[in-house]
Amino acid sequence: MSAGLSLAHEPVSGVPHGKLAMWIFLASEIMFFSGFFGAFIVLRNSNLEVFSHSAAELNKWLALLNTAVLIGSSLTMALSILNLQRGNKKNFQLFLGLTIVCGFIFLIVKTIEYTSKFNHVDPVFPHGIFPWSNVFFAFYFTMTGFHALHVILGLIPMIYMLSKSFTKQGYNKPVKLETLGLYWHFVDLVWIFLFPILYLIFPSHH
Amino acid sequence: MGHHEHPSDELMIKQYIKVFTWLFIFTALTVLAAMDWVPKSWGEIGGTLHITIGLIIAFAKAAMVIYIFMHIKFDNKFLRAFIFVPIFLFCVLTFALNVLGP
Repeated sequence: MSAGLSLAHEPVSGVPHGKLAMWIFLASEIMFFSGFFGAFIVLRNSNLEVFSHSAAELNKWLALLNTAVLIGSSLTMALSILNLQRGNKKNFQLFLGLTIVCGFIFLIVKTIEYTSKFNHVDPVFPHGIFPWSNVFFAFYFTMTGFHALHVILGLIPMIYMLSKSFTKQGYNKPVKLETLGLYWHFVDLVWIFLFPILYLIFPSHH
Repeated sequence: MGHHEHPSDELMIKQYIKVFTWLFIFTALTVLAAMDWVPKSWGEIGGTLHITIGLIIAFAKAAMVIYIFMHIKFDNKFLRAFIFVPIFLFCVLTFALNVLGP
């Protein structure tokens, strides 16, 4: 038996391989989103007028609702992990189910936001608001679009785990749920930054 | 900072709910900070103030999520390198470009 290959934990960090891999992936994800943030800031500084008028068109109350939904889903995810670790099946299912519901509420609100932008007609945007309408909306749709894609990709394994837990074998892999939890909290993190920079920060004085 | 052992379940749940509450309070603060409270006479400083306050609150929220929800406070310190280096770069980028912008 080869000792090196059979280790369940990475020898230096002492954490399971999957979790370590997730952290490395998340580090690369931070840089992925940093590219958008950096470009956003640079172009915002050279197009202050466009950015402030366009940002004023966004519905910050829907975004606030989505912020609350994501914060709530982070809490239920953490509680779901704790309950799976302790073998409390019912509570694990309840909190994972709530997390999934929050994910779907987020996506529904996002859909409402997008549709209202597509159907938005005024003298400045006579044909509705789309990613190609101006540089601000290019960023808005790209950044929130990639974020929503992350939400969808997080929901898939959650739904798998929850449905597996109702089968005869049940679901009993707390480390995997914990790893998925890291990813889910990261999705919340990205939104923590997207919310103020897209919806709230626009210079009212200049 | 010494190594933190995993606290009991009850304490853990209390911590989670505490963080959850603070995230809500900070979100409300972010919205309030974005309101039109800076006097017009302050000129361009107003925009910079809005951005700086908004970002400081966002970083505070991020720190709570990473420390408590993502268990960095309790996990092996080795992991911190993976998250802190890119976050440091992200902070430098965001603040430098925002605050030192035109």
